[in-house]
Amino acid sequence: MTEMILMTHVLFGVACIVTTVWVLVDTLNADEMNLPRIRWMSRAAALFMWLSLLFGGYWYVIYYPADKAIILKGPWPFAHEYFMETKEHLVIMLLLLATYLPIVASNNLAANKEARRLVLWVAAIIPLLGLMIEGHGAIIAMGVKVALLAKHI
Amino acid sequence: MENDTVSKYSVSFGLSLALSSVANALLVIAKEKSPAVQAGMQKLTGHHWITHVAIILVLFAAFGWLFANAKGGQGLTMPVNRLIKTIVAGVLTAGFVIVGFYLIAD
Repeated sequence: MTEMILMTHVLFGVACIVTTVWVLVDTLNADEMNLPRIRWMSRAAALFMWLSLLFGGYWYVIYYPADKAIILKGPWPFAHEYFMETKEHLVIMLLLLATYLPIVASNNLAANKEARRLVLWVAAIIPLLGLMIEGHGAIIAMGVKVALLAKHI
Repeated sequence: MENDTVSKYSVSFGLSLALSSVANALLVIAKEKSPAVQAGMQKLTGHHWITHVAIILVLFAAFGWLFANAKGGQGLTMPVNRLIKTIVAGVLTAGFVIVGFYLIAD
């Protein structure tokens, strides 16, 4: 069950990245036809990010202390000391960016070049930061794995 | 027909995003360097990270609302180019402060 919570967190994180890339590509070709889709996808990206944070936050507060203890006793303590500590705070900025995306996407992107530029910048930062955070998550999971492997060898 | 202005909420919440990101980084340093701050944050919600997220979200909403209602309800205005630079600078500064802090200072 705890693994499902964790995987749901990752799933929504990836969904946020994918939808934001969709918004980015659609905005590059913005016109009256795809404007509603851009707006809906930007709202979806924000929703996915909020769901990812809620699932991840719940898991972090309730279940992570056990993993943290394992990581700190293992050969990769930096998986917590650097990667988790950084991840849990960078993700707050990702939440703000994803929440901001539908606000900027509500402008008339078909007729407003400057609004398109703003959306493109925000929609470019989200996947970059998101992928970085996904990588952090992978290293944290590996921190647990190498600690458990070291215990059994 | 092309226009080049964005909604007042795009400007106000964009500025709020930059400001809240920097506040996020400063709060990281404050709670990691001061056990009293961390204990206070822990006490408020039961976990320092929940309090941290709540503070930043409240700041984001409050700054955004404040900037949107500035100048008699017209909201703050700024060229989009400068708004983009402010957002990127805020996010990058906060990111480097957080990464640098855990990499070097902590």
